[in-house]
Amino acid sequence: MNLLEITELTLDLPNGVRLLDGISLTVAAGETVGLVGESGSGKSLTARSVLGLLPERSTAGGKVLLDGTDVITTSPSELLALRRHSASMVFQDPRAGINPMRTIGDHLTETLRLCEHLPADQAKERAIEMMASVRLPRPEAHLRQYPHEFSGGMLQRVMIAGALSSSPKLLICDEPTTALDVTTQAEIISVLTEQRKSRGMGMLFITHDLNLAASLCDRVYVMSAGRVVEQGSAREVFSDPQADYTKKLVAATPTILVGDAEAAVPAELVPLAPAEPEDASGALVVRSLSKSYAIRGKTPVRAVSEVSLEIPRGGALGIVGESGSGKSTLARLIVGLESADAGEIVIAGKERTAPPRKRQERLAHARSVQMVFQDPYLSLDPRITAGKSIEDALRLHSKLTSTASRAKVIELLDQVGLTEKHADARPRKLSGGQRQRVAIARALAIEPDLLVMDEATSALDVSVQAQVLEVVADIRRERGLTVLFITHDLAVVRRVCEETVVMKQGEIVEHGKTLELLTQPRHDYTRHLIESVPRPAWDLDEAIEEAS
Amino acid sequence: MALVSIRRTVWSTGGTAVAVRRVVGKLGSLLLTLFLASLLVFFSRFLVPGDPVSFLLKGRKPSPEAVADITAEFGLNLPPWQQYFNWIIGVLHGDFGRSLQFRQDVSTVIGDRLPVTFGLVIMAGIMIAVIGLISGVAASLNRNRFWDKAILTGLTVFGAIPSFVGSIVLIAVFAVQLHWFPSFGSGEGFFDTIYHLVLPSLALTIVFVVLVGKVTRSSMVEQLDREHVEVATSRGLSRGSVVRRHVFRNAIGPILTVSGPLVAGLLVASSIVEAAFGIAGIGSLLVQSVDRLDFPVVQAVVLLVVTTFVAVNAIIDILEPWIDPRSAAGAGAR
Repeated sequence: MNLLEITELTLDLPNGVRLLDGISLTVAAGETVGLVGESGSGKSLTARSVLGLLPERSTAGGKVLLDGTDVITTSPSELLALRRHSASMVFQDPRAGINPMRTIGDHLTETLRLCEHLPADQAKERAIEMMASVRLPRPEAHLRQYPHEFSGGMLQRVMIAGALSSSPKLLICDEPTTALDVTTQAEIISVLTEQRKSRGMGMLFITHDLNLAASLCDRVYVMSAGRVVEQGSAREVFSDPQADYTKKLVAATPTILVGDAEAAVPAELVPLAPAEPEDASGALVVRSLSKSYAIRGKTPVRAVSEVSLEIPRGGALGIVGESGSGKSTLARLIVGLESADAGEIVIAGKERTAPPRKRQERLAHARSVQMVFQDPYLSLDPRITAGKSIEDALRLHSKLTSTASRAKVIELLDQVGLTEKHADARPRKLSGGQRQRVAIARALAIEPDLLVMDEATSALDVSVQAQVLEVVADIRRERGLTVLFITHDLAVVRRVCEETVVMKQGEIVEHGKTLELLTQPRHDYTRHLIESVPRPAWDLDEAIEEAS
Repeated sequence: MALVSIRRTVWSTGGTAVAVRRVVGKLGSLLLTLFLASLLVFFSRFLVPGDPVSFLLKGRKPSPEAVADITAEFGLNLPPWQQYFNWIIGVLHGDFGRSLQFRQDVSTVIGDRLPVTFGLVIMAGIMIAVIGLISGVAASLNRNRFWDKAILTGLTVFGAIPSFVGSIVLIAVFAVQLHWFPSFGSGEGFFDTIYHLVLPSLALTIVFVVLVGKVTRSSMVEQLDREHVEVATSRGLSRGSVVRRHVFRNAIGPILTVSGPLVAGLLVASSIVEAAFGIAGIGSLLVQSVDRLDFPVVQAVVLLVVTTFVAVNAIIDILEPWIDPRSAAGAGAR
């Protein structure tokens, strides 16, 4: 008998919306099963149903057999027993998933004390053991620390330790590394696989990242709109997808692997004639820019130190780095939201180092550089229609009549692949990808010399991300737009930028042509970043075969 | 609901020096607030129409010498800043001057009445806390269902009743009809006083419980949707443990923040209730003294209310790091 057997699971809301539509899947002991799909596909709901965590007032149908007990029909007390002994779950965001007002020790010992009734000192001992097993550096000291004193990666280890403290037979991981940096992700994944092996657990691993699923899972289920559209061994599904949806997903997923065909750079990515280094006519020239933040009672943090870079007109430069590398601060300095301590910023030949103070300066600065922010759900005013927010930007900077600006809005929306009907929609009615396109259209409305995109696609699903990247590529071809593209994702940079710089702790550690940088990294940190990116296990097999 | 244990290790991680600086800073701003309040309290007298001297003379036509005598006796001939100086020096020594209406020291007049009012406010505070917390928690756990709506409607209706109407209804029902409680006076001795204060504090509770109840509900509802609550549930903790340790514990902060200003509201509203129940407390004294332009008493009572209010809020501020460890580490930790 399998550890987990879900048959024909359905989930309905009272208003008639069907969230899950006949899901069937199995997980055997010792097996890692992936559940992949985009947001809204129902993969998280499926995972939560295993622990009986269903949305309020929803009705479930079908069977969820966990360790022989049907979760859906079982009594509340048996459900508690299942949660305590049979399965446990690691959630996506440890910052939100661990009570910020209780100590780490409390988080780890509370189930031991309250559910298994261990005395306090034994529970503490177990907690220390658990922390050691997920390789937290100072278990004894961590007991009395609070979550805000931990980094995201350390907190996720705490979450894993907490989930493992009940010795579950099945571990459910819901996007456990999505909120983490790529190098941290690699560490967490190795902890998870190590624990799965040593404990012989089954693992149900939910992710939107196909590369991660491919590198980790024995079998995968691909979900879309509440249904399983494809299943099979990871290798079959990803190397030879059958369902249209899977094919689309695989095609949309960026990868850092460089095939032979691509070694020759596609024509459209060839940068326009690079400007002479001494010539300040490049779209963006940054010279030895520094910025530190003073924290009371601590040594100042150097967010950006001695950074120099240059983008020729029409070029696209990627800045890659992990959280805390200073890449967002650099973007804010260039856009004029922060003031630099030292150095110089020149945009389209004009000095733009100091942040603008007067109205005229602000307008001029804004005309020279525009930014697209990470989260389109936050960067658009929910009460203003999409068309109006673009129009506002236009009319602030030009003396267009309302009919003329309206026509311009439609033209801009058309450029980003939207139509007139989207102009009258408020952000609430638009999807994430549509919102981000509106944000791009708004940034392009005043024809800036430079477009800064700060993690502009990382909140989006891969297929949507692919569309947005396509829009950016189109606009670059048509208008010769200069782009500074900031991201944590090496694979995305590869799709957009000819050149890439790698930042670490406020400094540029490597700078070069994107493809060269990916294939022949020179700096250790770049190599470490590239190695941390998950890749399918069979690619490694092939690499080994080729070598022999 | 068992009180939640609050850990004492918070400051050991943030550094004791930081904690001490925090408390000293808070006390400094507390003293500054009190100083500004004393200025306002004292000089507001000069803005009010009416002359205290003419009250003292009770409408008699005095000789100019008699007016001068009384003016000098109460120090009213001095320039305002010197009057303030004399007053504040006295206040710091516990001397609030002499009451014009009672011809007694203000401290004696207030001292006689203070215990009753404090008893009233404390009893009402306890009732408000207990009833407010229970109804708020019950409402939040039945979110958008019958009991939630019933509790919310009930609280709102009660909150809309003016305290003098509530007092009269309570007297009519529980004192006159049922004879359960006395309707007048504050009683003698500890237990008799408590017995006498049940209806008055209930009258205060009716008005103010809506605030605590609603804040508790919304604060709990906000926490119930947090992911860490789902995590706790997924780990097999019982519903009770989850609510107590993760929902209620985290909801305390906002509840306390709102409850601070409530204390001042209670002190002020006690005047109406005291009048309705014939209790000789601070509130009824304030009303009476304003009426008779007995400004030393008014100033002392207002200063007392302001001090209580500021002190309660300062205590809540100082407690904050124990309630939310992130606040000790600064806003950046949120």
